[in-house]
Amino acid sequence: MSAASPFVDWVVGWGRAIRFAALALATALSPSAYRAETRDVALKQIYFTAWQVLPGFLLFSTLFSFVVIEIAVNAARGYGLAAYALELVMRGLVLELIPLVTALFVALRSGAAIATEIGLMKATGELERLRAAGVDTLEREFVPRVAAAAVSVLSLTVMSCAIAMALAYWVMYGVSPHGFADFTRVVALVFGGAALAGFLLKCVAFGALVAVIPIAAGLHASVRLKSVPVVVLDGMVRLFFALGAVEVLALAVKYT
Amino acid sequence: MDIESPVTQVPKHLQFRVALLLAVTLVIVIGFVAYVLYARGVFEAVQRLTLVADNAEGVSVRMDVTFSGFPIGVVRRIALGEDGKARIEVDVPQREAKWLRASSVFVLERGLVGGAKIRVFTGDLKAPPLPNDAVRPVLRGDTQEEIPQLVATSRAILENLERLTGSGGALNVTLANLQTLSERMSGRHGMLGAILGTDADAAKVVGAIERANGLLASLERASSRLDTLIANTDRRVLGDAGVLEQTQATIVQANALLADLRGSLKKLDGVLTEAQGVGANAKTATADLGQLRSEIDEAVRRMSGLIEEIHRKWPFRRETEITLP
Repeated sequence: MSAASPFVDWVVGWGRAIRFAALALATALSPSAYRAETRDVALKQIYFTAWQVLPGFLLFSTLFSFVVIEIAVNAARGYGLAAYALELVMRGLVLELIPLVTALFVALRSGAAIATEIGLMKATGELERLRAAGVDTLEREFVPRVAAAAVSVLSLTVMSCAIAMALAYWVMYGVSPHGFADFTRVVALVFGGAALAGFLLKCVAFGALVAVIPIAAGLHASVRLKSVPVVVLDGMVRLFFALGAVEVLALAVKYT
Repeated sequence: MDIESPVTQVPKHLQFRVALLLAVTLVIVIGFVAYVLYARGVFEAVQRLTLVADNAEGVSVRMDVTFSGFPIGVVRRIALGEDGKARIEVDVPQREAKWLRASSVFVLERGLVGGAKIRVFTGDLKAPPLPNDAVRPVLRGDTQEEIPQLVATSRAILENLERLTGSGGALNVTLANLQTLSERMSGRHGMLGAILGTDADAAKVVGAIERANGLLASLERASSRLDTLIANTDRRVLGDAGVLEQTQATIVQANALLADLRGSLKKLDGVLTEAQGVGANAKTATADLGQLRSEIDEAVRRMSGLIEEIHRKWPFRRETEITLP
């Protein structure tokens, strides 16, 4: 962390992250990565990233969705545009806000943990010992984590969105089943094939970023333990920036 | 890989829990995709309909086609036809196709808020159903296109209004006149003064009305005298012993007189016959003739007296000449 210019440092940091992402993708696509050891690592990562936080996160996302839906539906009714409230909720909350909030939540909880873990492994020489023992750290440690993070974020997002859809129906029509036809019509309008594919792709991209950027940052740690907090902080800033950039890109692709 | 193990315990049934999580996620995703396919009518037979419009502005794919405010179909595709007209292809599910009839009218409306709307109006639901792949024209009812015209008209009206109400405008002048009028109306001569303009003219009119009143009073007096005159005349002419009755009596007398005269003339006729028969003995007959002549003379004298009396009593002129034979 002693480059001549912070800007050059910043660019080099992104370069490292992109290089690591490309390597991870290449490894994930090679069949040799799918072994019992890697699967164990991935299962543990999914467990820590998704299962452990599931109740708290679902509670949080339910409250968040409820507030946003209430605001959207009441504002639309106030303007006499109740017919568009449901579409607004689906387009704004389900397709955009919930994936981003989920990614940020996982980034805070697991991204920081991953960056610290890898940074410590680097600082304590753990990684060097593994490499010396002939273990491919990329294949055995990093790629399973990236894949697991992607699956976790997708899983949490899908569950949150399901709850949000049910809440939207409830706020809009109550428990009456007579709103179903109208609801179905709006679903057909909002969720085209492209929208669904884009949604899944975006969730996976968010999840992968949540692991890739912290790992790339952690790998940059020096042998000194003091460097670990610095790389974790750097990784988190980059992660938030990357999540925002993906969201903006997705919106740009969708609405231009 | 026991890197995490000092910090967190890996629980039992880890595989099961993760598998459960992934299974729930997968079920939700598959279920939702199936729901979306159902919502988009993939599992349902649809009836195709092509609407031809001059301008498809505001129409978008997946836009609703409504009937009585209920969405019964969606726009599947918009294309520009070879004839330069927009072709809007609409999918209507079979269960909603009953609302489409051969006599249905399709209207494309663009409101101020929200997108365009395609509406179906079916007046006669007993008309034959619309066949599949039918091509129908769509009418346009466009609020936005009418706005510039509306604004132009409103502006003209506002300009007129401004011209009317501006200083020196017609309305101001009228109001000023109205004020003058109301001031005069509240003056000494009231409404008369307001109508005539000056007090002097009003005074003249008042004088004229007073004179007319006097004239009317004298006319009334004259009329009462005339009434008396008419009553007198009536009595004189038509009453008992009036002119008319006397005239009637006179006529009766004249009739009797004429009968006498006729008798005398017959006698004269007989006498003349005798006189012819006597012939030469005229001298002897002279005495009789003299007597007869005196009788005739007397009758004629009475006659002329009678006529004179009629003339005196009867106001109408009549030739009453009596010609002797």
